Formats: sequence, structure tokens, C-alpha cells
Amino acid sequence: MITAITPILAHAADFAEGARPEDPAMWGWILLLTPLVGALILGLGHRIWSERVAGLIGTAAIFLAFGAALACLAQLLGMDAEERHVLSGFTYAQAFGVDFRFDIYYDQLAVMMALIVTGVSALIHLYSMAYMKSDRGYTRFFGYLNFFVFSMLLLVLAGNMLLLVIGWGFVGAASYLLISFWYRRSSATRAGAKAFVMNVIGDVALVIAAYLLWHELHTLTIPTLLANADDPFTVMPTATFTAVALLLLVGAFAKSAQVPLHTWLPDAMEGPTPVSALIHAATMVTAGVYLICRMHPFIEISDAASMTAAALGTATLLIAATTALVQTDLKRIIAYSTMSQIGYMIAGAAAAAYSASMFHLMTHAFFKALLFMSAGSVIAAMGGIQDVRRMGGFKKAMPFTYIVFVIGALTLAGFPLLSGFWSKDEIISYTLHRGGAFTIIAAGMYIGAILTAFYSLRAVFLVFHGDPAPEAKELEGGHIAHGDHTNPATGEHEDTEVGFPGADHHIAEREGEMKVAMGTLAFLAIVAGFVQIPGVTHVIEKWLEPVFEDSRYADSIPSVSAQWIGLGVGAVIAITGIAIAYWAYMKNRGVTERWTERFPRANAFLLNAWYFDWLYDRVFVRPVAAFAVFCNKVIERFVVDGIVVGTTTLVKDGAERVRAAQSGLARAYALSIIGGTVVIALYFVVVGK
Amino acid sequence: MNISWYIALSAVLFSIGAGGLVARRSPLVMLLCLELMLNGANLSLVAFARMHGDGGGQIFALVVMVVAACEVVVGLGLIVALYRNRLPIDIDELDHLKDPQKADSAL
Amino acid sequence: MNWGLTILLLVPIVGALIAALMPLRQIGGVAAIMTLIQVGFLIPIVLDFKIGTELTGFVDELWLPELGVHYSLGIDGLNLFMICLVVLAWSIATFAASRHEFAQPRMFYAMLALAEVGTLGAFMAQDLILFVLFFDLLLVPFYFLIGMWGKDTELGNSRRATATFMIYTLVGSLLMLVCAVALGVLSSTQNGTPLTFEFADLAANQVGNSTQNWLFVGFMLALLIKMPIPPLHGWMPITYKATPLPVLIVLSAVVAKLGAFGFLRIVMPLMPHAVDSFQPLLLLLAVIAIIYGSVMAFSQDDTRLVVGYSSIAQIGFVLLGIFVIDAKGAEGAILQMINHGIVVIALFLIIAFLGERAGSEKLSEMGGLAKNAPIFATLFLIVALATLAMPGSMNFVGETYILFGAFQTKFVWGVVASIGVVLAAVYMLRMFQRSMHNRGSAGDEATNSRSRELDSGELGLLVPAVLVILALAIYPQYVVERVEPNAAQTVKSVTQPAQPVALDTDGGVER
Repeated sequence: MITAITPILAHAADFAEGARPEDPAMWGWILLLTPLVGALILGLGHRIWSERVAGLIGTAAIFLAFGAALACLAQLLGMDAEERHVLSGFTYAQAFGVDFRFDIYYDQLAVMMALIVTGVSALIHLYSMAYMKSDRGYTRFFGYLNFFVFSMLLLVLAGNMLLLVIGWGFVGAASYLLISFWYRRSSATRAGAKAFVMNVIGDVALVIAAYLLWHELHTLTIPTLLANADDPFTVMPTATFTAVALLLLVGAFAKSAQVPLHTWLPDAMEGPTPVSALIHAATMVTAGVYLICRMHPFIEISDAASMTAAALGTATLLIAATTALVQTDLKRIIAYSTMSQIGYMIAGAAAAAYSASMFHLMTHAFFKALLFMSAGSVIAAMGGIQDVRRMGGFKKAMPFTYIVFVIGALTLAGFPLLSGFWSKDEIISYTLHRGGAFTIIAAGMYIGAILTAFYSLRAVFLVFHGDPAPEAKELEGGHIAHGDHTNPATGEHEDTEVGFPGADHHIAEREGEMKVAMGTLAFLAIVAGFVQIPGVTHVIEKWLEPVFEDSRYADSIPSVSAQWIGLGVGAVIAITGIAIAYWAYMKNRGVTERWTERFPRANAFLLNAWYFDWLYDRVFVRPVAAFAVFCNKVIERFVVDGIVVGTTTLVKDGAERVRAAQSGLARAYALSIIGGTVVIALYFVVVGK
Repeated sequence: MNISWYIALSAVLFSIGAGGLVARRSPLVMLLCLELMLNGANLSLVAFARMHGDGGGQIFALVVMVVAACEVVVGLGLIVALYRNRLPIDIDELDHLKDPQKADSAL
Repeated sequence: MNWGLTILLLVPIVGALIAALMPLRQIGGVAAIMTLIQVGFLIPIVLDFKIGTELTGFVDELWLPELGVHYSLGIDGLNLFMICLVVLAWSIATFAASRHEFAQPRMFYAMLALAEVGTLGAFMAQDLILFVLFFDLLLVPFYFLIGMWGKDTELGNSRRATATFMIYTLVGSLLMLVCAVALGVLSSTQNGTPLTFEFADLAANQVGNSTQNWLFVGFMLALLIKMPIPPLHGWMPITYKATPLPVLIVLSAVVAKLGAFGFLRIVMPLMPHAVDSFQPLLLLLAVIAIIYGSVMAFSQDDTRLVVGYSSIAQIGFVLLGIFVIDAKGAEGAILQMINHGIVVIALFLIIAFLGERAGSEKLSEMGGLAKNAPIFATLFLIVALATLAMPGSMNFVGETYILFGAFQTKFVWGVVASIGVVLAAVYMLRMFQRSMHNRGSAGDEATNSRSRELDSGELGLLVPAVLVILALAIYPQYVVERVEPNAAQTVKSVTQPAQPVALDTDGGVER
């Protein structure tokens, strides 16, 4: 027992002492464990803490984690540029050469990701302090959020493949808990289960990939794996490594909601809006991109895998963008837009534009979280209604929300000089520069860009412009509307005691925490792009360079002029898309309804997200359910009971037959005695010879 | 004298007795047949005793006679009891040792 | 003679006898407290355990010299944690039972204790006949426990449940007895050694290949019935529904593991050639168990059957780990035997609590409990996540080792088995959500505000199991390193048999 506790105590002593020079990863441990401690404090003391205190504990934990991430950054900056990585850990479950260790590892890529995760999480926690007020599960919410951040950091900082899988699984569990947060809604619990099961598929794929990597390279430690990947004699484009790449992609796609494992994301909007902002925009869904960047040598080795990733990423990009065009639920529009933007990142990573993808990951985190937060504010003003057809004219009633929403939407659309503009077009120009089949991918990206611009501003115009909705008028009069609290999907009456979302609604205009959080993100959405101006600033590229220098395409960098041309094209596309949206929704109101009437089938197709849910239901869910019924009715009854009943029937029949000999007829008995004796006598006579 | 004759006679007696036992339905006749079988066995015992010059066979034959006598007493007693209780004196009708499911209600 | 293990073996029945002397009301409580004495005996054994293949506390007395039967007990990495699991399971089960009134309590607790003696003996036995003796000894108390205290269900009355359970198990056990005796006798005649049934001796003097094959069949049937593995699982539904819950806890958590344990302890070291020959069949059965068990688990309405079928699926994984004949697989199998045992204890406690609160053990009549019982919901969630081998739990470690072993030797089987992991998520989440989340049944709404939280007694039962789950999740290495040498040894006995094989009486071919 003592041997078990010693390593844990040793590491605990690290923190107690503050600075222990022998463990270089001290700040990494603090970064990882602070959110967990926050979650434990909230969970174990959930009856003690008041709402205010719980919110403060939760938010403070993440701000502290952000501080620790900064400390890690400082630590790395103090190191030589080529050697900026730290590894530390203990044995977890090691046997027979399987080095299943609890190791954390951080380098430039991990620290960047950790900063994004903790930074945006901290702001979302701040937002939630106000937004979730009067929700009965307030403390539970912050506990789950903290646990989620811990899980995400575990994934990001994992230095061992199986620990990565553990982080992957925890994130899935946290996502499930948060999606089904309002657990009295059957639509929420169903969505949570769907997300969880798809996530498990990704988990299994990663375990198989981990096995194959261990089998080939005899280690599970990630830095060692990456180092070995440079050796052309050990890591070759064989079937095994293609399988590794494809399995890693399955895991990534399940987590990042890419086709074909994407159907859980729109349903995940059942969770409270801060959850959508944090998990389904900024962090969890980007884990797939992070995985591809982290394990990039193993994806690059297989051209088949790279092309598959690029193709599926682009397909997702287009499918999601077209679906977003017709959606009527505000959160779903933003969800599909997330799916689409991550398609950009995946396709970019597949094209080996890693730093560009990470750059877009960062800017996307800012503006998407901002969009969700603003949407939350609007939905609160609508008394819980999320249907954009019932909204309108909130510009006057909610000026702050309007401004930040517009900033977010324009950034998403790629309006010149905003951060999305720089990052999205950087991905596109790198992809274009790769040439060959990637030109088609880049073309797809441009098509996606115009669609993105269109649907982003569509949301703006539908929600904030036009005739004010009744709720907007109410708000102008200084009173927030209260909805009728019926679940639109199932028609059941909401149980407001377990949330949704409590008795009161909170809008940005009235809550200081929400304003601060949204304002910070709006500011970042505007300025964050300036770190990567082609030919001028290369902050992210230079920072991540040592991580990706072993990439085969490390030198495939488009020229500065090509990038500026790309930016020009992007600007034109963005403005065109915005103009079309303006024409459709402002100048020519009603034209979209006419299109819907003229093309009902196309509209239905897009509205139902290309009928993927329908397809999966027919191909997977129903056959398995039918198989279950078959097992129950047929196999259990005939095969299994058959054995029991068959055996007893056999014995009974045998007994019947034997019983027939007991006829009660004395003469028959006598005959058998005499006969038997004769037989025995004959036997002795014969054998005796 | 050749012992084979005695053995043959014994076998004939035994077979007649056995055949009669199986073929006849009256308990009284079955008892007679049993006696016949026993006497056949006795004959062969005595013959072998004489052949080996061993008195044991003759003594055993006497024992058999005693047992036969006892058994006849019991058997005749059973027949008288059957007659007194107005039961059929037919061995095929007296099958109450069989499966009780098919037992008839007479008893 | 080293008395330690014998005392451990007899403490349960002594405890029950002491409890029997108490007045009627207190029998349960005293019996429960007596089980804690075993924990006291067990702790020094666990702490002093040396990692390696040596047997601890080894006892070896000649019992029936003419028959070569020894009274021989020992603890090694294979059964150390199984013994711990036995003690934990019986302790919790007895405490759980003491919360209810049972008719004829003296007999009940005595039978429960006798079952524990049988299980402990079977795990610790180092002699084949002794093992079979304890294996069959178990049946007697279960006959009474299910027959006298079981309840009538729609699948049949308690007599039918008992009869089904007895017939199934007895058929297997008697076959195993025949094969065990045959093994000893043939080993002695074929190798010219004196008649003995000790494992070590039988492992050193193995029988011929074709002999091994038919002996294997007898053992296989008995062990597969115990586990249970489809298609021999017919006793499970009716027995699980009829058995009283404390008895079901020990039946499902521990006694079922005896089957898998038998393969590891007896079949692999003593009949390695047969293990090789029958590997494809057993792999197929394992995968069928995983898929069939999982599919049935998510289509059941009765919570007991959900757990029953999920146990089939999990034990299918264990069987897979054993029969991939790889050290990692064996390690994972042993780990999963331990994990699943702990998880099942917690699950049946949870089912008991759910049943009391909802008035029914059917999922269709439950729902929305988390609102009034948040701590219960949290504990249930932890247990549910552990059952589905959520990465981060020790179940994940065990399953990963099994899968790694499977991938190493039989890659395709491993991939098919991985489907079971996804299905496990489906059925456990379904059970959790149907009972805890969503709306409750109609009557539930009326009593909405009443707290249905676990009381201190129920917490006292559930929390230790959950704490064990969490402790193992944080540092599984403790168990992993103690099991490692024995897992390696067991597999080595199959891949590298100890000595040249004796010729069969019919001149069978040597390996």
C-alpha cells in the first residue's frame, strides 16, 4: 500500500513546496490539477457553497489555471527554442512492455492549446456566473465545467497515448454530463447519449491505433513516438501505418464532429448556451484538430489518410455550410457553422498547414464563443425561444449584444482586417500552394467562404433587424419576456425546478460579468489576427515551427505576394456574401420564403442536414434493435430454453419408456428373469469355450 | 450312469416349469410350475452331488425343499386372500404394481 | 502446519455459528460484524504479499493418501485479489442482508457463510480434488438460499429457478469431477508417477495430447456453465430474477468468476495442448458472449437482467483475454475479473435501492430519480462509467490489456470484440438514464419534492465499493504488478510446456 501512495504523495509534495527544481513540469502539474481541485471542492461541498461562492470558486480555478499556463509559457520561453518540451510522470499500469504511464508533456503546441482552452474557458466561466444564476443546478454546473477543463487539459498535456485516450474519454464524459445537464428533458438526455456513444467509437479507434503504434515502435510515450517517426526505416508507409493514420482520423472525426461522425453536434445544442460556447465551439471539438497536429508525422506518412482527411474535411465544410443556410434554430446555425469551420482546420491540417490551422483554431475559439454567448443573451431575451423566425428587431433593445454579435458574425464571414479574415485565408492559401488535388480542396474552401458569409449575416439580419418581435418590444419597455416553457421538440412541459433556465433570464445588457466576457472576446476577435500578417508578423508560425519542422511539407510555404492575393480574393468573397445576404434579408424581404416554396425538396434536404440522421437510423439503429428483438424472441426461447426444456423432455421421455417396462404384469417380469438368466448362462457357456 | 441324462431331465423339467410359469394365468398353476422348476434344480443338484461324491449338493437340495415349502405356504395364503376378497384369480388382472396413473379404481 | 489460510477459510462459518446463538433480531447484525473479522485476517496477508510466482501461506497436508488427495491451500498473484473480492463481496452482502428481515435467519446466515467457505476454498485450493470438492460444496448453500428465500417471478417460481440452476451446474460439475479424477489417474499411469492430485505435480506430469482434449471438454462445460457463456447461460435469467439480492451479489460478483479462474488455474497449466486445440472454439464463444450479452443487455426491461446480460458480456471479455494465449491478455483477464466483481457488487446494491424507491425493478417504471437523490445519482454514475470501462477507470486498464493481447495474437477477433466496448456504453447509459434522468412515472410527479436520497445505511454499503473503484482508478499499478508474474507463468505453461509429453496409451503423437 505504501508503494502505491508514494508517487502520489511525492507529487503532492511538489505543490506544497512550491518550487522543486527536480521536477521541471511543476507548472504543468499545477495547470492540470487546478481545475480538478476546483471540481472536487465544488462537488464535495455542494451543499455548503452558496451560488455566488460556487461561481467564484469555479471561475477562480480556471483563471488560476490560465495563470499556470502562462507560467508554462514563460518556462518554455526561457528554454532554448529547439528544446522547448517538458516530460514528467509516474507509472500507472505498466506490464509486459506496455508502458502505460501517467506522463504529462508540453511543448509549444500544447502550451498554445492550453492557453486557448484555459483563456476562453475562464471567460465562459465568468459569463456563466451571470447567465446561469437562479438555475437550481448552478453549483453542479460549475463543477462539471471545471471537470471538463481538467479533462481537456489532460488530453492536451498527455504524454502517453493511453493517457491521451483517458483524456479523450473524460472529455466525452464531461460533454455528456453537460449536454444532458437539464436531465429532465428527454431531448437533452437523448442528445447526451448520442454524443457519448459516438465518442466511444472514437475512443475505441484510438485504442486500436495506440496498439498498432506500440506494436511497431514498442512505446506509448508520445515524444518518443514522434522522435521515432523521423526514422524512415521504422516508420514506413505500410498498411499498418496507414491503418494507424486512419484510426487516428476516426478518433479525431468523432470528437470534432466531422462527416461521417458528425450527427451528434447539432443535437448537443440541448445543453445550456455556455456549454455550447465552451465545448462545442472552442475546445472539445477542436481536440481532433489538435490530435492531427500532434500526431502529424503519422498522418503524413500515409497519403491515403491525408487525402481522406482533406476530402472529408472539405465535405463537412460544405455540407455544414449549406445546412446552416436554412436552419431556423439560432444555436443550430452556429453549431453547423462550427462544424464547417472545423472542416477548414481539418482540411488545412491534412494539407500540412499546421500553424495556419492552429491559428484559425485560436481565432475561431474567440469569435465562435462570442457568437454563442451573444446568442445566449438573445435567447434569454426571447424567454427561451430559439427560433429565428420569431425573432427580429432586437437592435434597439439590445445594443451591446447587437454590436458584439455583429463583430462575431463579420469575423466568421471573413470581413477584411478582422481575425477570421487573416486565419481563414491563411489556411486557403497554404492549401492552394500544396497544389495537385488540394486545388480542388481550396476551391471548396472558397465556396464555403461565400456560404459562410451569407449565413452569418443572415442570422444578424433575421435576429436584429426588421420588425421588432413582441419580446423585443417588451424589452424596449424594460421587461424581459417569459416563455411558456414547453419543449418544442417533445412538447413536454419543462421542469423549471431542474433548470431550463430557471425562473429568470439573464441578458448581457444587465449583467456585468457577461459584458466583460463578451467584450474581451470581441476585442480579441478583432485584433487577434494581427499576429499573422503575411510578410509582417509571424508570431504563431515562428512559435510552432520547431514542432512541425519534421513535417515533409515544412518548406511548402506560399510566397508573401500569393498570400496577399489570397487575402484579396477572400475579402471580395466575404463582401460578396455579405452583400447577397443584405439583398435577401433587408432589401428584398420575403425572397427566401419564395425560394423555399419553389424548391421544397432541396429545402427539406438541407434542413435535415442531408438526411444523415435518417441514414444512420436505417443502417445502424434499426438493424441492431431488430437483432435485439430477434435474440430475445427467437434465440432465448428456442436455443437457450431449448436446452433446458430439451434436456428435461429427453429425461422425461426416457423415463416414460423405462416406466413402460413396469407393467405390473407378473408374467412379463417372470419372462424377463428367465430370459435374462438364459442369456447369462449362454454367455458363460460360449465364453468358457 | 452318465450324468448327462440327469442334467437333460433336469433341464426338461425346468423348461416345462418355466414355460408353464410364463404361459399360464392362474396363480395356482403358476405355483405348481414353480415347484416343477425347483424340482428340476433339485434333481441336478443331487445328480452333481452323486457325481462328485459330495454330500453338499444333497443338503442343499433339502434346503431348497424347505424354502419351496415356505414359499408355497405364502403363495397359497395369497391365493386364498384373493379369493376371499373377490379379486380376479388371474395374474394379468393383478397389476397394481405398475404406474399408478393407470391404476383402475377397483382397489 | 501453517494455520493461516485454514483459519481464513473457517472464519466465516464460525462467525455464522456465533451469530446463530444471538437472539432473533440481532442475528443479521452480528453476522455482518463477524465478516469484518475476515478483513482483519486478510490485511496482513495482502500487505506481506511478495510479488512473484511463489505461493504464500502454503499449506500441504496429505489428506487421503490412498487417493493421492492433499489438503493444500496457497495464495499467489492469481487468487490474491480474488480472495479480497470474496471477502469484500460477502461482507457487503451480509450487511445488506442484515437490513432486511429474513425468515429463519440462523439458517440463512449459516448458508451464506457456508457458500463463502466453499468459494474461498475453491480459490485457494492447490489440489484438484479439493478444488472440485469446494466447487461442488457451493451448490448446497445456494440450493437452500435460492429455494427457501427466493421469490416467484413471471419466469417461474423459486423452485423452478433452483431446479434450473442446480441441474445446469450439477451436470457441468459432475462432468468436471469425472474428468478431474481421470486426469489424476491418467497422469499417474501415463507418467509412472504416484497418484497425486496436486496442481504442481499434475502440471509437471502432464497427460497425453488426445487425452487432454477429451478431459478439456468436461472442464470446459462445467466452467462455461458457471460463468455463464452462451449458449449455456439459460439458468441466468430465471435465477437472477428469483434470487434474493444479497445472495445475488455474491453469486454474480464472485461465484461466476470461479469459472474463469478455473481456466487459468487448472486448464491452462494442466492441459496446455488442449488449450491450443480448442482456442478457436473458445475465442468464438467469447466473442459471441460479448456481442450477444451486450445486445441482450440493452433490450431488457428488468434491471437485474440488464446487469445479468452485461455480466455475460464482461465475462466474455475475460474469456477472450484468457484464450488469446498472450501474457497481456491473461493479465487483462485477471484484472477484469477483479474489476467486474467490484462493479457488480455496487450495481446490485444500486438495483436494490432503485427497486425500493420505484417500487419495481423494471426500467419502464423508473425515471427522474436524480432530482431527489443527487448523491445516489453521482455514485451510480461513477459505477456506470466504470462498468462501461470508461478510460481512466481500472476497467479500462483491464480491457485495454485484453484488447492488446487480442490484437497481438488474433487481430480480427480483437477488433470484433471492440464493438462490445461501444455496446457497453449503450446499455449502461440506457440503464442510468432510464432510472435517473428524464421524467419519472406518473405517480412520481405527485411526490416530487420528497427526498429519496440514500440514508446512512445505504451509503455505508455503497460508498466502500465506490471508494475501491476510485482507488483502483487512480493507481492500478498496485494490482497490475502483483498479478503480472502469475499471468506470465500461466501463459508460459501453454506456449512453452514444461517437459516432453508422455505418450498416450494409444500411442498419440508427442508435441
